[in-house]
Amino acid sequence: MITVEFYGVLREVAETDRLQCDFSGGAVEEALSLLCRQIPALAAHLPRLACAVDDEIVSRDAQLGSGATLALLPPVSGG
Amino acid sequence: MKKSKHLQSEPLDLAELIAETADPSAGALVVFSGTVRNHHAGKQVEYLNYTAHAALCEKVLAELESETRERFGVSQCRIVHREGDLRIGEDSVLVVVRSAHRKEAFAAAEYAINTLKERAPVWKREHYADGTVDYQEGVPLSACKHDH
Repeated sequence: MITVEFYGVLREVAETDRLQCDFSGGAVEEALSLLCRQIPALAAHLPRLACAVDDEIVSRDAQLGSGATLALLPPVSGG
Repeated sequence: MKKSKHLQSEPLDLAELIAETADPSAGALVVFSGTVRNHHAGKQVEYLNYTAHAALCEKVLAELESETRERFGVSQCRIVHREGDLRIGEDSVLVVVRSAHRKEAFAAAEYAINTLKERAPVWKREHYADGTVDYQEGVPLSACKHDH
């Protein structure tokens, strides 16, 4: 089980700020594929989103352990 | 409760940053304020809402301060971003740079705000006078580019 956090516009896409996802471990890319099956509208955002695990930006081949928190970060607009 | 150093929900306090960065070796002080304006792309803006990934934002802005000081040789650089609902005229971000001379202070402040816009995990949601709401398109964080 992992926790997935949504930021920015993705909160509207997922209709929530966070959810628990039944992911037993593997690469971030695999978790994203699983999430896109649950939330099809997420797929359109994949090319432009970055991922953070436990408050570190990670690449999509990074490994996600059970219990990890995966944050999905769409394009930023601070300032 | 201790105030967050780089991200805060209460109004930004420029006087506090000026005091915090006081430096007798610095002959130049440059301040950039990002201020909420009442229009975007031809639409009238009522207010803005900013959200952030708090832990990552703290880290990114602390690193950007250090990087800016080293890269431009300025003695002081502080960056604070606001989150929550902001009215027209309120500050969304403050960048304060002090250095011995003005040239590097101007350059450092410009670098800091430009880089913040590319790296800080912060999202702006605009609430318009006509009742509609929209996220800005934004800048993809550079980590995305490795994969695509």
